[in-house]
This record gives sequence, C-alpha cells and structure tokens, in this order.
Amino acid sequence: MNEMLEQVIKRNDTWRGRRDYFRAGGASANSNLHGAQGLPTGYSTLDAELRQRGWPTDGMVELLSDGCGMGAMGVFLPAMEQLSEQARWQTFIAPPYIPYAPLLAARGIDTGQILMVHPRSREDLLWATEQALRSTTCSAVFSWLGAQEYRYSELRRLQLAAADSDSLAVLFRPNQIQDHHTPASLRLQMCEYRKVRILKQRGGQQVIDVTLPPEEDSPQQPQLWELPQNPGAGQPAGAAEYRA
Amino acid sequence: MSLWLCLRFDQLPLQCLDRDERQPVVVLAAQRVICANDCASALGIQPGMASATVRALAADEPVRLLERDEQAEQSCMHQLCSWAYGITPSLCTWQEHCLQLEVGGCLTLFRGLQPLLAEITRGVSSKGFSMLQGLAPTPKAAWLLSFADKNSAMAIDQALEERLAPLPLDHLAPVAQGIDSLRRAGLYTLGDVLALPPASLSRRCGKAFTDFLQQLLGQRDDLQVSFTPPASFTDAVWFGYEVKTCDELLPTVQQLLQSLCHFLRNTQLRTNEITWQLVGVDHTLLDLRVRSASSHSDWENWYQLSCIHFARLQLTNGVEGLNLECQDLQLGQQESIDLFSPRSQREPLAALLDRLRNRLGLQAIETVDCRDEHLPEFSVQVGNELTGSRSGPRNRSVQRPFWLMPQPVPLRQQGENLYWNGVLTLHYGPERIEDNWWRQAVSRDYYIAADAAGQQYWLFRDRLERRWYIHGVFA
Repeated sequence: MNEMLEQVIKRNDTWRGRRDYFRAGGASANSNLHGAQGLPTGYSTLDAELRQRGWPTDGMVELLSDGCGMGAMGVFLPAMEQLSEQARWQTFIAPPYIPYAPLLAARGIDTGQILMVHPRSREDLLWATEQALRSTTCSAVFSWLGAQEYRYSELRRLQLAAADSDSLAVLFRPNQIQDHHTPASLRLQMCEYRKVRILKQRGGQQVIDVTLPPEEDSPQQPQLWELPQNPGAGQPAGAAEYRA
Repeated sequence: MSLWLCLRFDQLPLQCLDRDERQPVVVLAAQRVICANDCASALGIQPGMASATVRALAADEPVRLLERDEQAEQSCMHQLCSWAYGITPSLCTWQEHCLQLEVGGCLTLFRGLQPLLAEITRGVSSKGFSMLQGLAPTPKAAWLLSFADKNSAMAIDQALEERLAPLPLDHLAPVAQGIDSLRRAGLYTLGDVLALPPASLSRRCGKAFTDFLQQLLGQRDDLQVSFTPPASFTDAVWFGYEVKTCDELLPTVQQLLQSLCHFLRNTQLRTNEITWQLVGVDHTLLDLRVRSASSHSDWENWYQLSCIHFARLQLTNGVEGLNLECQDLQLGQQESIDLFSPRSQREPLAALLDRLRNRLGLQAIETVDCRDEHLPEFSVQVGNELTGSRSGPRNRSVQRPFWLMPQPVPLRQQGENLYWNGVLTLHYGPERIEDNWWRQAVSRDYYIAADAAGQQYWLFRDRLERRWYIHGVFA
C-alpha cells in the first residue's frame, strides 16, 4: 500500500468507512468490533445504535440541546454510576446550576468525586477542559461550552485530548450550532425527554432517533424525567386557588 | 569502623568571591595576602605577603586586590554542608574552611570507597570549588593528612602513625599550644613527637596537647557537634542583568526548584506552599505564592504549578534576582497512584486540583456533598474544601431534579399564569416541605411544571409569602 496512505490510516482521527460498520442490525458480540468496547450507556436501545456499543471513551461526545438541557444529564447518569467505581474525579466545568447531591447519592454516585469548576473566561473554560482531559485523573469530564462561538481548531484540541485519555468527555452545546462542523466522534441532540437523536457518529449510522425505554430505569430510585402517576395530571387539584 | 574524610577548601576565600583565572586575583585580610589564584602565584605572590609587596611583584600587570568577605565564605560553607548532607548524615565543619564527613557508614550505599570519592569530587567541582582531601580513621588525622601529599593522604591501608610521621608540626599551630617549645627542643615533625613517651610529653606540653594526640590516634573519643539542616529553605539567584520576559526566568525557576527538592529529599520533608520573590531592577519586590493541595517533594510538579503563575504574570519592569522561599516544611506521606490499576492514571488525584486552583483561584473549584436536611437548599453542601468519598442515603424514591438553583428565583406571575422563559403549566404536585420552624419557618408546596417545549422545572409556592419560586430543573 502507498506509504503515505498507510500513515494516514494509522492516525487515530482518520475516519474509515468499513462495511461492517454500516451493516444493518449491528455486529455480533464476538465480531472484531468487540475490541473497541465503549462504556455502556445503561440503555439497550442507545447501546445498539452506537458503534462501540456504548459511549466512546476515545473521543468526545457533543450533546446539543436548548435551554436547560431537556434530560441531557439523565442520559449520562447510568454511566456516572458505573464510573463512580473508578474513584477518579467526575468534573463539571461551567455547570449551569448545582447538581442535587442527594439525587446523585441515591443513584450510587460518590458525591466526593464531583468537582465543579467555574472558569471566568472562555479561554479558562477551554484550558480547564483540556487540563481535565489530559490529567488522566478524571473518569468523566462534562463541559458546558455555552452559546459562544468556538473555532474548529479549539474544539479539535479538546478532541485530541479526549482521544488520548480514557475518560468520558462530554461537551454540552446549544442547538443552533447544529450546522457547524465538529471534530467530535459523536454528536447527539436531545429533542425531548427520553428521545436522543444521533446526528453524527464516526463509523456508524447517523441521523437516527433513539427512544430510551422507561422499563430500563433502575427501580425504586428517583427517576429524572418521568412524572409519577398522578390522578389529577394536567392541573393539580387546588393549585389554582393558591395563586390567588 | 569509622572513616573520616576531610575536605579542605583552601581557596575558599578566593573562590567565593571571584573565579576568574585569566588575571591575577588576590584576597587580602588586614593588608596581608591570605589567598591568591594561579596567575598570581605564577608572579611569585604567596600568602602572608603585604599588599605593597604584591604591587611590587605585579609591576605592570593589573592585579585585582579583593577584601576578604567572611560572610560570603560562611554562606559558601553552609551551602557545601547542605550538599554534603546528601552524602552522609554525620558531618561537621572544622577549623576554617574544612568539612569533616564520616563516610564509614555510607560505603555500602555508594558501593565502595572509590565511587563515593568520585561522587564527592564531581559534586565539589560542579560547584566550582577546589579542595584537598584527607582520609583517616579519626577526624583530626583526616584533617592533618589533607596537608600531606596526595598518595599518603588517601592511603587508608597504611598504618596511621607512619602516614602522620612526615608531617611538620607547624600544621598543629591553630589547634594546639606548646608547639614553639617543641620546636626549640629540636622536634620538627609529628613523627618526632609520637616517638616520645606520653608521660614526659604531658609534663612538657600540658595535658591538652596529649589529649589532642590521643584523639588524633583514636585512643580518646573525639566528639563534634554534627551539622543539622536548617528548618526552612531559601535560595536565590542573582542575574546581574535585567530580565524582561517571564520565559527567560523559567530555566532559573527549574534550577531553584531542583535545589529545593534536593533539600527536601535529603531532609525527608515535604511542603505544600512555596513563595517566589522577584526582585526588580528598581528594588521592588513581587511575591508569588504557589500552593498545592497535597504536600510533596517532586520538582516537576512544582515547576508545572509555578509555570501557571509565571505565564499569567505581566512584568512591568525588569527582574534582576529571583528568590525561592519555603517556610512551612512538614513530614508527610507521599500520595501515590495505584500501580495495579487497569487504567492509565499517571498522577495522583490532587494534581489536577492544584493546576486548576493555581490558575482559576481557590474559589473557582467547588465540591458538593449531601446533608441530612429537609429543605432542598440545605441538603446540598457546596464547599471549596475536599471531602472524602462517601455515599449517601439510597432509599429515596421521590421526584427530585438534577439541577438545583443556588437560590430560589422568584417567578413572574401574570393573572393565572407563571412565566419562566415562557408560560409554565403545572403537572404534578403538591408536595409539601415544611421545616426550619425554630429559626425562620418555611412552608412550601413543590410542583413539577413544564414549559411549551416540554422542559420540566421544579417550582414551589411559598405558603407564608404567597409567592412562586423556581428551584430546580429536571435534566
């Protein structure tokens, strides 16, 4: 084979299309894809559509959503629960609010591992994200990039850092950057609770809607986005008169 | 067997001031030469000459005459002691400019005498000093043998008396009295004195002299106060020219940190705070404090943290000197990473925390924790201090949002509708939470509401204030 071509193929960030990546129905458990195991998402339907049968830990995940995230964190809760065993940091960079610690504890996540970082500027945000990815001491890095513009090169730095690390790297970004290019290996969109759309996936199927099955939620633990059965759903009885 | 090595720095008064070998340099004390470099010796200048003689000998040649600086000599000796402490723990200074090292106890560590001597020679010459060595079973003999010729000075397998015998008595003048009377009696070398019966020698020269001889031959204990390393570390580099950018400081930073960590390793101490002091050309001082969450003695770690500070530093005027100070030293346990972990973790957990804190500030990094409280805002504890790992109660099964707002935010209310980025509709509730009656009573009805896009929020109505607030987001 051409030597230059071989070098290009050896690079980790080269996107190679292979027939079995696109085979309908996915590969069997003992196929050669088995080596590149991702981190199980905790939802069988999502695992089935992702190429590594889980979250990729050799690249970053971009999650697009509007407003307050629309169940975006709930998608990662089962993964956080698993990563909690590694006893490394789970870093939240520029989080919008405070994670409700009793909920995390009830899900079996060690709250002592949660590190919240509040950078003051855009540069500090990128720096802190890269540091967290490069330091090898984080099992998960969640970064809220906000509505600002980022150059492709800046995001690519993060992607390369994520590719070198063995942490789950997630960037939260708004819906309006949907048309911009991304170096991320996986780009998802949250359209509503329990509904994830895979916008881009390296070496896998794209633009598919995945519904997260409610029956796979862990029982007897607080569920994030499911309303409990309320007889008077819609408008609770007596609520109107309180407003007066 | 105890084995003493004496390092005699005979050129120290000169070498601590000037190491120029291209022109004659002479150090004077009370107008007498005490030290001269090779160029000056070639002109015939010798210790003890008056400054007028030096000028006469030099004739047209330019000679630099330096005044002796005892403070500089002392600090050099101190530096050498700190360095030698890395070789052996029992050492002391002796006379002027001599270092006595007990090396018998560390021969195994260095795998023999020759590697040890090579290490010492390398260390001294890298500091730019010249020395004379003597090796003997007693410290005083080692010192005297440093005056002997090179072969007999280090010949440890020969008998001590034989090696000492040819040395002239003059060397004893600074430490023993009665040398003059011996000389008048026709005794000139140590061998002549050692041949006399000790009792008659004691009558002639006094008990102090025979005690000295006994210590010299190892017949009497010779106890010296051993060097103890200082309780804090300071080191400085004086550039002597103006440094304008921080990048130029970095090699010096690295060098000073290496010397700090060498000191820390020798004393088996650690630190979690170091202070840099930049001395400006206009004598302004600028302090930079670098902290670390865990105390350690790893210079690369400190270098990384210091670089974060230096990278953000705007130098308004040039820097002429750099000091490194470390006051707070403590004994500590090294935090290490799990060697058998299947993951590729390369550094302890605190390393990331240090880097983030040093760049973003202490307040920018927070941790969360649970508290056993009813009010949601009190059940989450946000702090800057690290808490240990813990797992909370696992038995809750009520609806709680992922995100909690630090403070409940009042909602805009218009007629029948509540607004938060659009109109909200209540879906579930109420769940009453009442608490804190002993201080300021709180009574709230919590609801889950959704906006037009379907995003769910956690709201409450304060029953006492009769107002609506938003408190959390389901995400």
